[in-house]
Amino acid sequence: MRKKAIWLLSIILVACAVLAGCSGSGNGNGGGEAANDSGNSGQSGEKVKLTALITKHPLTKPLAEMEWLQQVEDAAGVDIEWQEITADWGQKKGTLLASGDVPDLFVGPNVITDADFAQFQGLFQDLNGLLEQAPNVQKMFEEKPETKAIATQRDGEIYGLPKYQSYWPNTANRQYINQAWLDNLGLSMPTTWDELYHVLVAFKEKDANGNGDPNDEIPMDWPGGIGGYFNPAVLLGSMGITLASEVSGQGYFIEDGGVKNFLTDDRYKQMVLFLNKLYKAGLINPEVFTHDYTKYQAVARGEGDTAKVGFTWGWVASDRFGEQVAPQYASMSPLKVSAGSAEQVSWSYDYYSLNFGVNHIVMSAKTKNKEAAMRFINELYNPVTGIQALFGSIGPNIKDNGDGTYAVLPPQDSKMDPGTWKWTSTWADNGAFYISDGTPLTLGKDMQEVLTQSEPLSGVLEQVDPENDVYPAMFIKYSTADNNSMSLNNTNVMNLANTSFAKWVTKGGIEAEWDTYVNESKKAGLDQNLEIMQKYYDEYLSTN
Amino acid sequence: MRPGSIFGTFKRDYQLWMMIAPAIAVIFIFNYIPMYGVQLAFRDYHFSKGLTGGDWQGLFYFKQFIDSYLFTDLLKNTFFISLTTIVVGFPAPIILALILNQIRRKKMKQLMQTTVYLPHFISIIVLVGMLNVLLSPETGIVGHIMKSIGLGHINLLASTSTFIPTYVLSDIWQHCGWNSIIYLAALSTVDPQLYDSAKIDGAGRWQTIRYIDFPALVPTIVILFILSMGNILSTGFEKIFLMQNALNLPVSEVIATYVYKIGIISNQFSYASAIGLFNTLVNFIFLFAMNAISKRVSNTSLF
Amino acid sequence: MIRQRLNGGEIAFRIVLSALCALIFLAIAYPLYFIVIASISDSTLVSTGKVLLLPKEISFFGYKEIFQDERVWTGYRNTVFYTTAGTLVNLLFTLPAAYVLSRREFRARRFIMFAFVLTMFFNGGLIPTYLLMKDLHLTNTPWVFILPFCVNVFYLIIARTFFESTLPSELYEAAAIDGCSHFVFFVKVALPLSKALISVIGLYYLVGHWNDFFTALIYIRDNEWKPLQIILRDILLSNQVFSGGAGTGGDSGGYAQRYADQIKYGVIIVSTLPILVLYPFLQKYFEKGVMIGSIKG
Repeated sequence: MRKKAIWLLSIILVACAVLAGCSGSGNGNGGGEAANDSGNSGQSGEKVKLTALITKHPLTKPLAEMEWLQQVEDAAGVDIEWQEITADWGQKKGTLLASGDVPDLFVGPNVITDADFAQFQGLFQDLNGLLEQAPNVQKMFEEKPETKAIATQRDGEIYGLPKYQSYWPNTANRQYINQAWLDNLGLSMPTTWDELYHVLVAFKEKDANGNGDPNDEIPMDWPGGIGGYFNPAVLLGSMGITLASEVSGQGYFIEDGGVKNFLTDDRYKQMVLFLNKLYKAGLINPEVFTHDYTKYQAVARGEGDTAKVGFTWGWVASDRFGEQVAPQYASMSPLKVSAGSAEQVSWSYDYYSLNFGVNHIVMSAKTKNKEAAMRFINELYNPVTGIQALFGSIGPNIKDNGDGTYAVLPPQDSKMDPGTWKWTSTWADNGAFYISDGTPLTLGKDMQEVLTQSEPLSGVLEQVDPENDVYPAMFIKYSTADNNSMSLNNTNVMNLANTSFAKWVTKGGIEAEWDTYVNESKKAGLDQNLEIMQKYYDEYLSTN
Repeated sequence: MRPGSIFGTFKRDYQLWMMIAPAIAVIFIFNYIPMYGVQLAFRDYHFSKGLTGGDWQGLFYFKQFIDSYLFTDLLKNTFFISLTTIVVGFPAPIILALILNQIRRKKMKQLMQTTVYLPHFISIIVLVGMLNVLLSPETGIVGHIMKSIGLGHINLLASTSTFIPTYVLSDIWQHCGWNSIIYLAALSTVDPQLYDSAKIDGAGRWQTIRYIDFPALVPTIVILFILSMGNILSTGFEKIFLMQNALNLPVSEVIATYVYKIGIISNQFSYASAIGLFNTLVNFIFLFAMNAISKRVSNTSLF
Repeated sequence: MIRQRLNGGEIAFRIVLSALCALIFLAIAYPLYFIVIASISDSTLVSTGKVLLLPKEISFFGYKEIFQDERVWTGYRNTVFYTTAGTLVNLLFTLPAAYVLSRREFRARRFIMFAFVLTMFFNGGLIPTYLLMKDLHLTNTPWVFILPFCVNVFYLIIARTFFESTLPSELYEAAAIDGCSHFVFFVKVALPLSKALISVIGLYYLVGHWNDFFTALIYIRDNEWKPLQIILRDILLSNQVFSGGAGTGGDSGGYAQRYADQIKYGVIIVSTLPILVLYPFLQKYFEKGVMIGSIKG
């Protein structure tokens, strides 16, 4: 009897699910809504109402308080209702897009991805037909053809517009050593791996920071893992590998016209052996693989005037070490692998990822007044608006010198550093804008510091040929299937790479396990990815 | 029982039907109506065709998951973490409830109760942040304690052998008190006369626990145990994800964190649904099996 | 006589019990105490392990930062409303259903129970659910916190077993002879006998509403309707050091560094204190208890 009851119930349930399925299948395709009452009242002086969503940094103040944005909306004759998202965009996006319940405009770094465009066909507006109304965007495409290449999908549609900001350096990583410690111990700046080793040993064994405790120095530190920013992977530059942050997080790089991956390269093995030697000698922070970013940053701040870390990487010294101990540090040139090495040294080349951004503004196909939305976009892409989107309004954040030149002002809040101030005041790097080369703007103290501290690297970076040494990740548009297999394979490869790297650095054993590891990596999908990327790379080369 | 007897008794039970109708309506609307979405695990997703309009793919996405490079590791890790959580974590609130129940002084008891249930409210971000600070072998208090009792310099978060104990123990620390509330409540229904007669029979407190308190908890234990077996593949996501690092990854990569990493949340709806459905099926099988066993053994069951 | 016999074992038992309690108390209370001192100490000192027993370089920056955000107050207001209204609706839907499912003469109970338990496992996924909420015009309204999923099957099972074991069927039969209907019996007899159950289930629901941020994350757009947890999460994230910040091509800010953790720990205190205040009021009902009896299959 009981069994029968449960069977009956199951049947009812299935029937319900099927019925619900039929009635529900009509959902989610409300895409072709007619553009009724287009509300084209921009001319009559009344503002057009639009809705927009922005993924902004959590520190950024409410958009209603940004003077420049109000001016841009006024100039475009629009009144935008902003939805401001500071967290969990990835989680929200899926349901939002799938429901078709979308605002007129999306703003943010890669706010809608190329993969989303492919999957949610019909939801986003192809901007090709509207570009005539946006002379500023057209100008960007002419002056910086890269931007047009970044924006254009495989079939020629333009759904998202990129940003360009021209002022950023061409690498994200600067290499720092504590000059004061070197001076205290009478050592000179290391130039090779071997010299680095001896300097770090001295940091460890002696009281480098002079506080009476010879054991509180951490000779070397990084955020953990392999690849990514501020990572020892830059040491691969000593052996001629040019990293590029768009793909080097998963190990990919370009050499001699081929796509390669350093994770299975003998030079990587050599680097891991070196790191293991440092680790065994106690020269690397023992918590390097476990600390979180907060702790990693906190440790380098030292105590008062006493610095704690000897050698590390970062964006800029004042951020990495805090204002108090930052003056002790010097930015270094890349190291040679050994004194006699003839290898052309390289470094991480991030010009594209730092100065360009993919899909920073996207329009919904359901927008009722597309002309008005485009007017707004056009205003945003005016370079004088651009500097305000990036650094803040003219007035509180930027000084207008009156002769067509501008200067970034120091923070109004004297306790705040210029970098944070920028993120607080405006869209900053998350915005959509075009700042043409040569826009006359004097940068703030923080950016000047970044540029000064990049100087020791400039010799090496000038040797990099972006055309032939860097994987053009931003310019390549993958098919959905390739994109999916690549992300799947990368997850598997990185799972293996991260665990092996951590184990080999801390416990050694790379010699014995290397061959198995290389084979496993292939099985995890590395070869397939190299093949896919090579295919697209060749295609890219042949069309450019 | 005659067929249709359910509806035959409708007239008699109409009041009962009216009382349960709102619950049935809510469950039907919010749980059953969206269930057509299960199809997504067998179909491609196309925005323009709607949720159920994509091409039929059959078991393609299930196969993709089962054939994936890390599948066995993921399954093994997931099972191992949740089994350990159940084996060690399930009895903890029972024992805690029995201990708390023995405290005679009212003030003491209240203080203890309130304290033990507090950690439940700590958010996972903060909990993991605290673990990082407190367990640090160099600077944390646990590090200090371990050094002073001669366990030396172990980074609990950084080794494959200590990850699971750390995960499970911190879980117990956080939820044991909260979970014991229900057992405490069950204990308070024990007839006080039983204790008195036990005393007269000369039973010590240990015997009282064993022969009076514990049996009073058995039905609760059985029901909760069945339900917890139905969660065998549902490890929490956020805590494991935040506790992961390159050194413990071989044991800490579980299905939930892997799914997150393939970037499924934003795009691969079908694949995500298939993995979700796979988890559900395994969970349901375990629940069903436990329920059947328990019906045989203890005559207690969910349905 | 009895006293004498108790002595040996009883003393040993008490020593062991006190030791155990002391141990448990310390193990749980210290980390809680740590949260309190960490919320007012310099964060760099906290994360380098310098703050162990006493707060250092005390400042209330974290709390200032939290409370000067006006959204916190709207958040509190919303959360209190969602929690109260939500819990009431929960109980209103769950308790009668649990009562019905506890009646053995109710023939459909095994079906319904199975159908309910099934929903603990199978669900259609987020997108169909979102579409449903949209069609019902629940998105971006306070109702989305209150109405959907207002019956938690897990708590329903607990409530059902409680009714089964505390309300002998003879009790109703006797009442029925006097012409008492199920409605009256439920309101006049069952509920008054179930204060302990109501407070346990109520507490569970209440805490569930209080801690819920996912609903708001997915369904709420306007700041006006956001609950406390979402707002605290925003504040927390805005003060986390730019771990990805440098990566997004900008530069990181050292500004938040000294106080980042203060906010992290302060948020916990701000979000839990109100609910702690409530516990002692409910606690007295637990003393009488809720009981899950056996359910015959």
